[in-house]
Amino acid sequence: MSQVQTEEAGRHPLADINTLIHAPARLMVLTNLYVVTSADYVFLMRQTGLTWGNLSAHLSKLEEAGYVAVEKEFRGKKPHTTVRLTDEGRAAFREYKRSMQQVLDDLPD
Amino acid sequence: MSERISLKETERQAFRATFRDGLWDVLLGCIMLQFAIAPLLSTRLGDFWSSAVWLPFFLLVYLVILLLRKYVVKPRLGTVKFGPARTRRLMHFSLVMLVVNILALALGIVAALNPTLVGSMAPIALGVMILAGLSLMAYFLDYPILYVYGVLLALAPPVGEWLWRNKLVAHHGFPVTFGILAALMILIGLVKFVALLRRYPLPATDEPEGA
Repeated sequence: MSQVQTEEAGRHPLADINTLIHAPARLMVLTNLYVVTSADYVFLMRQTGLTWGNLSAHLSKLEEAGYVAVEKEFRGKKPHTTVRLTDEGRAAFREYKRSMQQVLDDLPD
Repeated sequence: MSERISLKETERQAFRATFRDGLWDVLLGCIMLQFAIAPLLSTRLGDFWSSAVWLPFFLLVYLVILLLRKYVVKPRLGTVKFGPARTRRLMHFSLVMLVVNILALALGIVAALNPTLVGSMAPIALGVMILAGLSLMAYFLDYPILYVYGVLLALAPPVGEWLWRNKLVAHHGFPVTFGILAALMILIGLVKFVALLRRYPLPATDEPEGA
């Protein structure tokens, strides 16, 4: 939503920030997925510093929103999970980036 | 820092993570070991066999590195597929290295056929080629330590030549200069590898079901 539309609606621009992306842990995950084609669970865990459980919970939320696609397979007897950003997730992240830039650029020094 | 720079840095960090294991340092060190030991072997085995024996050695080192990456490093660091920009950069790197290697081979053949043409410039020419090759690798692979290796290895031929001319060492000084640098690179690689094993133990549990 543009700044003009936001002001017309009488809402603070920050109110329209995508909170699903804005949470630090999910933002870290999405930032990492945004710059690669796909990554597995261990790679995301190492890059973000999140635990298995935390990462799993955040990925579930992102998957429910349709922002990430999770593919499970077995390598030998071990499960292996690969995650990638969907087109919808990529667009949402780009929009979030644009909104944040706009909000922060408007702040006085 | 702007968002754009931050994203670029994130991608770069993700890519650099693939060098965190030190195995490329070990591989490069083993390649440089050839420059150090081949002159010593050539007096016993001749030029052909002193070079040929390295083929199985390199195959063995490469195989060990592949197995370590598959069974030791990947379970600890995970796997990632990079985006089109990085893939393009790696393709450009392959093409540039192909050209550099063809050029180096051509210059090597010219030098071998006309030793007087190159003369005393040979150690410097070799040093420049090594520096150019490793600097290109450092640039395209985003791996800054290769610049340092490049400078040190570029100094090895002229320093070795100086040692040899002053009758301090045999074989143009290669066994000493390249030997020290190869040992240093292998040591750095092994330290990195051990540090990785200590810092990143195998994940304690299997992947959770609800991912």
